[in-house]
Order: sequence, then structure tokens, then C-alpha cells
Amino acid sequence: MIAIGGAAVLLLLGLISPADAFLTLVRDWNTFLFFLGMMALSALAEAAGLFDWLAVQAARLAGRSAARLFLNVFLLGSLISMILSNDATALILTPIVYVLVTKLRLPVLPYLFACTFIADTASFLLPVSNPINVIIISRFPLDLWTFVRLLFLPSLVVISINIGLFFLLYRNQIKGGFDIERLPSAEQAIKHQAYFRYTCCVLAVVAFAYVMASAVQLPLSLVALSGAVLLLIGAICWKQISLRQTAKRISWSIFGFIAGMFIVVRAIEDTGLTTRFGNWLIHLSGGTNFGAVMVGTVGAALGTNLINNVPMAVVMISALGGIQHAAPSLQHAFVAATIFGCDLGPNLTTVGSLATVLWLLILRQRDVDVSGLDYFKVGVVVTPLMLLAGALTIWLLL
Amino acid sequence: MRALCCLDGTNVEQVSKATEMLSTSQPLTVAILYVTDTGPRHDIEHLRERFLRPPGHPPPREEEIRQAEKASAQDILNEGLRYFPAAEALQRQGRPEREIVNTAAEWQADLVIICPRAEYGGRHAIGPKSVGHVARFVADHAPCPVLLVRPLARERFPIPR
Repeated sequence: MIAIGGAAVLLLLGLISPADAFLTLVRDWNTFLFFLGMMALSALAEAAGLFDWLAVQAARLAGRSAARLFLNVFLLGSLISMILSNDATALILTPIVYVLVTKLRLPVLPYLFACTFIADTASFLLPVSNPINVIIISRFPLDLWTFVRLLFLPSLVVISINIGLFFLLYRNQIKGGFDIERLPSAEQAIKHQAYFRYTCCVLAVVAFAYVMASAVQLPLSLVALSGAVLLLIGAICWKQISLRQTAKRISWSIFGFIAGMFIVVRAIEDTGLTTRFGNWLIHLSGGTNFGAVMVGTVGAALGTNLINNVPMAVVMISALGGIQHAAPSLQHAFVAATIFGCDLGPNLTTVGSLATVLWLLILRQRDVDVSGLDYFKVGVVVTPLMLLAGALTIWLLL
Repeated sequence: MRALCCLDGTNVEQVSKATEMLSTSQPLTVAILYVTDTGPRHDIEHLRERFLRPPGHPPPREEEIRQAEKASAQDILNEGLRYFPAAEALQRQGRPEREIVNTAAEWQADLVIICPRAEYGGRHAIGPKSVGHVARFVADHAPCPVLLVRPLARERFPIPR
């Protein structure tokens, strides 16, 4: 509401013309449609019971070991983030893992934090792994090879650090085992056998199509939407979920938020503020690749914790307009670091923004439940290390 | 004496041994309590907020979470009843430390029996930070004496003087 309200005020005050606002939104159609396709794909895969089935399989493969299940949750979260984006891991896998470990009578928090953190830590394996990546590369196109060359290895590095540090932090809580009898059967997770198989096939095709589309720089939203339409047709044919139920599972308010943000930032662009911010970042980097990676990473990561990562990505793509005349390696340094910082940065406070953290601190002073602070404590220990290691790896790969 | 035994899913044997020792000196009326911690669910809610989603999961998922919590709590209490067949089983939801002290007051407990922290297969630790925040809060705020049940650790002595 705040973003839409801000945009409305700017339009009413004439600080941006309706035509300009409209053009701004049309220019970013790929982002809007990608969000729609991504949310629909996840909702339809969830309706098939795919995530529940995968979680049960992860537990079965763990034998009876709590530590192996911990590792499997990280690996499963990485796989889901890579193909279906970090939203699917954070919002769908997390409650499923919560139910699973509650049934298994294992400590809940380590597994919950594993899901939450890996959602972001594994969100730059591929361009589709995070909608932020799509927002950024819509403005600064990176071919698949360059994206993978600059971000895949850093992603593996930070995933390893994330897993290693979590094993260290929670070593005492994941030492034991669990009773396999408490585990629900994998068949129970599947709502309808034929639709489930169909969903697996469609998602395999979508994963392949994502890679191909990234390679030839086709809009990723078309792949996501096509996949969602195919799944929806299957779901309706097998009477698993209706169009209305699918629509209910999509967060429509997010489109208003993004649209509002695009318009507000477009209006700020006209004042020259974002350009100045961009020039300041370039100046701070000293024109070197190392400086660009460090400034881009730190700037984006801090920004995501101040104003959430979607607005920060929109601000950064506007601010970095000036780098289009810089040397290609410097451009790549800034773009890769912005993706990296915006994707991984939220793990610092996890609750999303500094405002939320401050609010939680105030609540704690008033003796109100503030479980979100547990995340914050882990995030401030783990995330700076991951940011540093990842940024250095990107710099080495430039 | 009315003894409120706090179960955490890992400590029923330890708690039952402690009550056995106590019951030799005086008759005990026992209640077993398990509190479902609502903190993790709040964490998941915060996560939805961060991903710009409205609060609350889709209804089937919400129901599944509720059922899992209920079944797990019942399972832990049933296990407790095997050790304390005559005990009253109490189930609460909320912040465990606060629910324990409030239940102790409501049930008019003369003694709260609690373990330092849930042990999930790890080595029972002694030393700094060996008492978790729940047991520490209960010791600080309970309306009656608190019995902190620790495992024997004689083999780790003497400690450096």
C-alpha cells in the first residue's frame, strides 16, 4: 500500500507523467510475468504434493540420522531454490520441514533456519533462482555463460560455508537420531498419482527450458508462464485444483508493490538522485574490479536490510545506469556484486529490513514475544562471512 | 506434595527417576506438562512478511501444522503417562518458560521438576551455559521451589581448581 500510495502521490503532484509511469511498467513486463509464472508454478507443484514427497524422501535417505537429515534439508532447499526460486524454498518448503521435524520429534529451530538461510544462499545458482536476478538482468543483460561463470562457483562456496557453519552452530542439537516409524509414507504425500508424475515431467522440461532460454536470452517469464499453464491444464483435467484456487494462492498484492516501486524509483531518477548514488558507488570503487565487487556487494547487502531486497534491486539498477559506459569487466563486477548482495544480503537480518529489526527490539524491551531475533543472532554471525567469501570469489573469477 | 514435571520430549526417564527418589520420602501428586513452543511458527510468519506475502499459510497447510503439533504433544504426554500412570496430563501452547511458571501457579504446584535443556542425542554438558533459557527462566520466576534434574557427571571430575 505504501509503494502504491507513493506512486499515486507522485502522479497527483505531477512529478511523473501517467504516460511515463505506464511506459516504465510496460518496459518491465518480464519481471511482472516472471513473478506470476513463478508463484503459479510453485502453487501447482505444491498442490501435486511434490514438496511434501521430496521432504519425506530427504528424511528416508537420511536413514535415522538427524545430522544427515540436516544436510539433506540444505541440499533439497538448494535444488528447489535453483529451479523454482528462493520463494518456493522459504515459503513452501519451510512449513513442510517444520511439520516433518515436529512429527520426528527433532529440534525445530536448526531445520527451520536451514530452510530459511539456504533459500537465499542458493538463490544465485541460476538466473531463475531468485526474482531479483530477473529484475537486474532485465536491465543489464548477462548471458547464461557469464552469469554461471561469475556466480555459480561463489554460490557453491557460500552454500558450503552456510552448511559448515550451521553444522558447527547446531552440532549438539543434531547429534541424535529419529524414529523412522514416525515418518509418513512417501505415497501419503502424493495427492494424485498421474498428476504428480505429470508435474514432475513438466518441471523437468521447465528446468531445461529455463537453461535454454537463459542461454539464448529469451524472456524467462515466458518459460515460467508456459510451465504454469501446462500444470494448470493438468490440474484441471485431473480435478486437483481449480483456476480460482490457484489464483487464491498467488499473492496479487506483490504486483502493486513492485509497480509502485518501479514508478517511485523512475520519478527519483528524474531528480538525478539515483545517478548521483551510482556515481558515488563508482567513485568509491576506485574504478577497479575489486572495488566494484566490494562496493556493489556491501552496498546492495546493506540496502536490502534497510528497505527489503526488491526495492533495493530496483534502486540499484537505476543507480548503475552510469556504468554502461565503463569497461565490460567493471560492468560485470558491479552487476554480479549487485545480484550477489541483493540475494544473500537478506540473510543478515532475515526478517527483511532494519525497520523490522528495530520494531522487534522495541517489542522485546516491552517483554513481547520476539522470536525473529533468533534469526537475527544467527544471521549477523553467518552472513558477513558468506558475503566476504562470495565477493572475493567473484573478484577472482572476473 | 504436588509436583509439576516439565517434559520436553527427551527427558521423561530423567524426570521419572527424580520423582521416584522424591516419592520415597513423601507421597507425590504428579502432573506432567508439555508446552508446544509457538516461537518457530512466529518465525515462519516473519518469513512470509519478508517475502511480501500476506500472513497465514493456505488453509490445508495451516491445518497440517496444527495437527502435527497436536499429535507430537499428545505423543510426548502419552509417553509420560507410561512412566506416571496416575499423573494429570497438561498441554499448553505458547512460550514454554512462561507457560510453565503460569501453569505451576494455576495448578498450585509445590515443586517444579525440570531438566536444564532438551538433549537430542548429544553429550549431557555441564559447565557454563549448560542450563538453557527455559530452565533458567523457570528457576528465576517459578512460584515454588524448582528441582533442576541433571545427569550424573562424576566421571568428569575433578575440574581444574
